[in-house]
Amino acid sequence: MSAPALWPLASAPEGLASDIDPVAFELINNAMTFLVNEMALTLVRASYSGILRDNMDFATGVADLDGQMVAQGLSLPLQFGPMPDAIAAVKARWQGQMEPGDVFVLNDPFEGGTHLPDVFFIKPLFHEGASFCFVCVSGHQVDIGGRVAGSNACDSTEVYAEGLRIPPLKLYERGAPNQTLFALLEKNVRVPVKLMGDFRAQVASLSAGEAGLADLIQRFGAATLRRYWAELMDYTERLTRQEIARLPDGVYRFRDNLDSDGIEVRPVPIELALTISGDGIVADYTGSSPQVKGALNSTLSMTKAATYFAVRTVLGVDVPNNGGFFRPVEVIAERGSVLDCVLPAASAARGMTMFRVVDAVLGALAQAAPGRVPAAGEGGPTLFSFGGYDKAREPFVFVEIFGGSWGGRPDRDGIEGISHPVLNQRNIPVEVIEVENPLRVRRYGFVPDTGGAGKFRGGLSLMRDFEFVGAEPAQLQMRADRRVTRPYGLAGGQAGSPSCNLMAPGTEKERELPAMVTTTIAPGETVRFMTAGGGGWGDPRERDPQAVAEDVADGKMTPAHARAQYGIVVDAGGATAPRKRDSHPRAGADDEPGDGQGLQHIGRKQI
Amino acid sequence: MPATITAPSYRVGVDIGGTFTDVVVATSDGGRGVRKLLSTPPDFGRAVIAGVRAALADLGAEAGARSEVVHATTVVTNAILERKGARCAVITTEGFRDVLEIGRLRMPELFNLFYDKPPKLVPRRRVFEVRERMDHHGEVLVPLDQDSVEAAVEAVLAAGVDAVAVCLINSYANPAHERAVAETLAIRAPGLDVSVSSEILPRIGEYERTSTTVLNAYVRPAVRRYLDAMVAQLKAQDIDGPLYIMQCSGGLTSAERAAREPVTLVESGPAAGVLAGRELAQALGYANALTFDMGGTTAKAAIIEAGALALSGEYEVGGRIAAHTRLTGGGGFPIGFPVVDVAEVGAGGGSLAWIDAGGGLRVGPHSAGAQPGPACYAQGGEAPTVTDANVVLGYLNPEAIAGGEIAIRRDLAERVVMEQVARPLGIEPLAAAHGIHLIANSAMMGAIRAVSTQRGRDVRDFVLIAFGGSGPVHAVGLARAMGIGTVVVPAAPGLFSAVGLLATDLEFQQSRVLYADLGELGLDELNAVLGELHDEVWRMAAREEGQGVGYEIAAELRYWGQSYELTVTAPFGPQSDETVAELIARFERQHERTYGHRAMGERVILVALRVIARLRPAMAAGTARAVAGTPAAAWTTESGERRVYFGPETGSLATPVIARAELSAEAHWGPLLIEEYDSVTVVPPECSACLHPAGHIIVTLGAGSAAPASATQGRLE
Repeated sequence: MSAPALWPLASAPEGLASDIDPVAFELINNAMTFLVNEMALTLVRASYSGILRDNMDFATGVADLDGQMVAQGLSLPLQFGPMPDAIAAVKARWQGQMEPGDVFVLNDPFEGGTHLPDVFFIKPLFHEGASFCFVCVSGHQVDIGGRVAGSNACDSTEVYAEGLRIPPLKLYERGAPNQTLFALLEKNVRVPVKLMGDFRAQVASLSAGEAGLADLIQRFGAATLRRYWAELMDYTERLTRQEIARLPDGVYRFRDNLDSDGIEVRPVPIELALTISGDGIVADYTGSSPQVKGALNSTLSMTKAATYFAVRTVLGVDVPNNGGFFRPVEVIAERGSVLDCVLPAASAARGMTMFRVVDAVLGALAQAAPGRVPAAGEGGPTLFSFGGYDKAREPFVFVEIFGGSWGGRPDRDGIEGISHPVLNQRNIPVEVIEVENPLRVRRYGFVPDTGGAGKFRGGLSLMRDFEFVGAEPAQLQMRADRRVTRPYGLAGGQAGSPSCNLMAPGTEKERELPAMVTTTIAPGETVRFMTAGGGGWGDPRERDPQAVAEDVADGKMTPAHARAQYGIVVDAGGATAPRKRDSHPRAGADDEPGDGQGLQHIGRKQI
Repeated sequence: MPATITAPSYRVGVDIGGTFTDVVVATSDGGRGVRKLLSTPPDFGRAVIAGVRAALADLGAEAGARSEVVHATTVVTNAILERKGARCAVITTEGFRDVLEIGRLRMPELFNLFYDKPPKLVPRRRVFEVRERMDHHGEVLVPLDQDSVEAAVEAVLAAGVDAVAVCLINSYANPAHERAVAETLAIRAPGLDVSVSSEILPRIGEYERTSTTVLNAYVRPAVRRYLDAMVAQLKAQDIDGPLYIMQCSGGLTSAERAAREPVTLVESGPAAGVLAGRELAQALGYANALTFDMGGTTAKAAIIEAGALALSGEYEVGGRIAAHTRLTGGGGFPIGFPVVDVAEVGAGGGSLAWIDAGGGLRVGPHSAGAQPGPACYAQGGEAPTVTDANVVLGYLNPEAIAGGEIAIRRDLAERVVMEQVARPLGIEPLAAAHGIHLIANSAMMGAIRAVSTQRGRDVRDFVLIAFGGSGPVHAVGLARAMGIGTVVVPAAPGLFSAVGLLATDLEFQQSRVLYADLGELGLDELNAVLGELHDEVWRMAAREEGQGVGYEIAAELRYWGQSYELTVTAPFGPQSDETVAELIARFERQHERTYGHRAMGERVILVALRVIARLRPAMAAGTARAVAGTPAAAWTTESGERRVYFGPETGSLATPVIARAELSAEAHWGPLLIEEYDSVTVVPPECSACLHPAGHIIVTLGAGSAAPASATQGRLE
């Protein structure tokens, strides 16, 4: 980790347990890491849908018999957390009835899952007749049925509308596929070929894990492996606790909002009291919104995963990806709240809620470790999907997770054009979009002046314009946020610009879309998606004038913005050295999102 | 070329690295000479000439005879890593100025909010837009607006750049607008070096194409200077035959083409090593081999299967070295060409051993580098490295290595291992050193797995070819841990990449994006595209002197809905329903082998088609392929014996130390150390070594193929 050091290294590390050979320990640690990453690569390579490959929206891992994660592969960080609950659900229903060759499947958020598109595969492994461990894979499916293609709609009001609910069931029984279940699945999803393709990829990943474990058992012996697994998790817990212990004790509060409940525009508060006490952390979300009408509700398992992520980013050391990390972090949310929902809550679009949880935890941690936490980023990518028929009457569905930018950091600017850190998704190339869909990308790039002003400014908004070139109107569905509650600045930095999504931008017919919407788009119409800009870090008046001049030269900032927000006078080319600051710049006193100059030419009717 | 030959003609293979220049000379009358010299940057030709002269002198030959020089160079990779390329501008389609800076959004490090993208090669202020637009069929949506072109060219001139990359949206489908922009540049700014994306990489995917084209523009002036100087120097010494250069795809190109498309020269050196491995495997009759090249800071692995190299379409240059970046990508600048798939990990002789905050023993990724180097070099290094551990274990000569050029202080190695590893962990120094050695091995296993098991291959079906200074020290232990039965240490393991160059063919290729359902694509269209591609590569190949042009088709295929291709090759020829069916069948077989399943009956999409032409350089036949007959360097050690530690179950054993020449075709059982000029081959107990008639060491593990269990179980008490 390259985060600036906040504190000196611990005097003496607490060592490994006395019966542990440090060399074997590292060898087994490496071997487990390779194994779960090999499972991840197998999944990526064999997958059908772009979601698994380009968004890495999956998880691979090995768990012990208690359901603790011994190792998890690198993938979407938000998927690091929910697996133990899925295993617990399988055990609760099937304890005593698991046999070699069984593969369990589930996706029900109320019985081990997180939302319907994430389908978990869990395979118990046996050694010498006794159960030994679990290999697990979860993957986001391109469609699991329900009322809207892609199963991502944010305006569903019950889980029943969102797709097929699968309780923990045997997808394979003693190695034989459960034909009944497969047939039922095939009839209930829109693109069975992709679902079956991705299911095969998930099975291939389990097989890679199984083969790797057989090898390790042969190399090290089952009992030794188990002993070292326990130590691996203890080791991670020790590292984590050591780091937490260096944070000042206290109760740190932070509140952030979603701007919509998925149906109507109204603030949905995420309330956090984060207590650091000794070497443990309690994240208490009591006081957050009750579960909402739309599909933004989260299971407690996802709330935990988002919390773990944020805590992990402020640790001064890199820790292995295993369940030992979870132990020092307790997460509390009220049953029936938006962060621990109950039936019949809809949850397909709960990702947005998770982004806000991450923002809240980082906002609280910024008070405890101000040098380690960036200002808020774009607040989660905008997810949109187009679905309909092309000119040859072939059906198409195009889904993109679009963003983003990071907030300014204690020692440097935020990045523009980078994934949200809990996702690490890829964009979809313009040329690939156009060859596969009746869509034309008209514009793709940064929006000047949209990064929150600061000593270290926030990253700029990202914008993409699509023209629909199909034969008949198509369905357009979008999930955005940060329209009202903007990405926060820190240490005197300004908030980033809000998101803004427009139909027919720059024309007579220009109109703004609500942040969460399902609508139609007609042939020849253009829609613009624009994410929020990142928040700034530190007082804008302390920004290096040269950095302002560079931004102007790069066209990332207009001279007017430089003057209004930073009090710096630079000519348009940024070529000449910046002149002295105005003595009373508007920056700091004014809460406007930039001065709007950069937005002028891209259409800003309702900003 | 003169018709009469008075002196024997000769071919030279030269691998120019940052530190060393390795030279191998092969003459038409069967002579072979080798030389390892310090590189002479920026004037790299000096070392080449000195090496060639010395090697020829050894053979009693002289310059002035007919010659051919084949070389691999690090100049491109270094220019990118050191950010020493040209000042560049980019011209792109209006509305797409930020494609280059946005990239693919991905980062190689998770959980790090202080990550930064690699520094930009072209800042936004030097990216200029022109008004135009093609669609994906190559139809013009917006005609090229010449006023906007003039304005962009004006801006380029005002920016004071040396090179320009022209990268327009959908130019892979129709290059007309890019060509028109390039023409205007040629007229208005004749001194500028222009790289055009539809010429450099006519592939779908605007970011990767732009990145590749920008890299080309960025390194071209430097490569041109480098090649001009090299050619001039060689000529001045009467070494005036053709100069060929290794490309990342594993084939040679001419100096002329290299100057135009220098981006194809990245990873030139590592590709040569893999080529050498392929040639050696073939000579020894192994269909499947893994190459393992371990140097001071990194270890590299590659796969050879059924005699063929594996190519990767997702190479990134300038990124951090870490096994998991193969999963995430995003750490460097992508190159859209097929690149010999070499997995690299940050584990080498100089890698540092340390204890982390949780009490775990770790090795790398930090390295002591050449300076200060391992503690045992006594050049100021104060931290234990893998090399120090190898000295403590007795694997390396305790007095001197590299033919006596580097003095070794065993006491210093023992001290750092004792004080910084053994004592804090409460274990014996030998156990600590052995632990460092094993942990380095486990990191390197990551590289080998990345090219083998992670593609669904079973490593036990492969032999391991080990080279580089440290490769032979670690190879047998590595093979044991992975269940590999045979290790080959070639003659002159430190010069192996240079040897590979002499066995490489010239290669030319052209590709076309089709993105069509292979079942629906008409044979006429398919054959028309193949015909055009064939003519294009034929024109390239016809410019070179060479023999036996062979053509091959490479089809990039995927199932409908997938976002990942497999490349399937086939002999060149007119396609029929049968050959197309065979292509699909091959794809499905490869899919099943790689992913464990196939999807019978589903649509197969032909993403792109490539035609590759290969020809043997004119003189290669005359000098034969050199791999088989390369002599080991002359230096030999004194035979003797020392105590060597092979692990807790065996303990320290009195181990004979012999020279390669003392081996024979009979099995020599371990424990055994085979010491030579540029490396040491460590043969543990229960393994045997023999010498192949061509000078290669062949180590057989256990009774032929050691099961992983027997090899490692005893390690855990």
